[in-house]
Amino acid sequence: MISFGKDIESDLIALYKSKKIGLEGNLLKVIKTTNKEFQQYLEEAKTKDQETRRKRLEVTKQVQSQNKDLIEGQAEKEKLMLELKEALAESEKLREVAVDDLETLQKKTQFELIGLIVKVALGAVSAICILTTILYLYVLSKGLDSKIIESTWSNMFGIILTNCFSIIGTIMGVKHITDSKESKESKK
Amino acid sequence: MIDSILLVDDEDLFHLVFEDSCSLLDITLSLQSLTSSDEADKLFKKWFQEGPVEEKPDCVFVDLNIIGSSFDGIELIRKINFEYGNGVVIGIISSSDDKQEIEKAKSVGAQFWIIKSDEIEPRLEAFRKDYDVYKNKTAAFKVYK
Repeated sequence: MISFGKDIESDLIALYKSKKIGLEGNLLKVIKTTNKEFQQYLEEAKTKDQETRRKRLEVTKQVQSQNKDLIEGQAEKEKLMLELKEALAESEKLREVAVDDLETLQKKTQFELIGLIVKVALGAVSAICILTTILYLYVLSKGLDSKIIESTWSNMFGIILTNCFSIIGTIMGVKHITDSKESKESKK
Repeated sequence: MIDSILLVDDEDLFHLVFEDSCSLLDITLSLQSLTSSDEADKLFKKWFQEGPVEEKPDCVFVDLNIIGSSFDGIELIRKINFEYGNGVVIGIISSSDDKQEIEKAKSVGAQFWIIKSDEIEPRLEAFRKDYDVYKNKTAAFKVYK
């Protein structure tokens, strides 16, 4: 415990009365006095100090609570962002799968169309070949003039053979390009 | 009234809450607050090497998880009790009530565990009433909920 001289006590009381400036904090709890006026001063100062502390405590608790809420909110936000990113990645994967499926379907349709064209063309070519050959054989067996049919038959086989190799070459080329593209995409 | 208290807690706002609560409840006149267990460790090491010093607090409140420190509150209590001499009333003040952590704190010589919450004053008031038995080392470990 500490005590002040009478002059200091009077000065402190005068300062409080004129400027409302008083002692604060735990210092008030260790001052001892026999002066009744200074005792009253100390009581008032203690009450004022306690009020100030009570207010500050309330505000600090509010701020603390708000901080806690903010931190919790931030954690929740981060969790949601993570979930959102995962969902986005998942949807991206599904989109890629759907695009692949669509490409496969398109290719299948194209191949089917090409197949049909080739079949029809082969049918037409075969029919003409057979018809020309039958006609040629008929002309030969009957001993008729075969000059025109002979040249037609040989020209036709020449053209058909050339075109067959050309078609085979084109198909092989297309297949090679398609395979290269697929391997490049799978590497990506 | 407790002569002097040391609070080790990383949260500055809690320092204010603790200081005002202690003042309003007349728990102590002298309160020192530190934000890391490393600082507290240095001080206790110094006090241990220099022998009995007036600066050494009578009671220490340690947070469980002290962010920015090399070790947690339980390790600090272990160091104070087993490396720097057991001369203080010491315990945990934390928002956690994890039973495993409470058992760990008990095993390193913590005397009490106060759960932090918005209403800390009633717990501090109850602790103040029990303080003398903690000082005499006659009280059993207690959790203030």
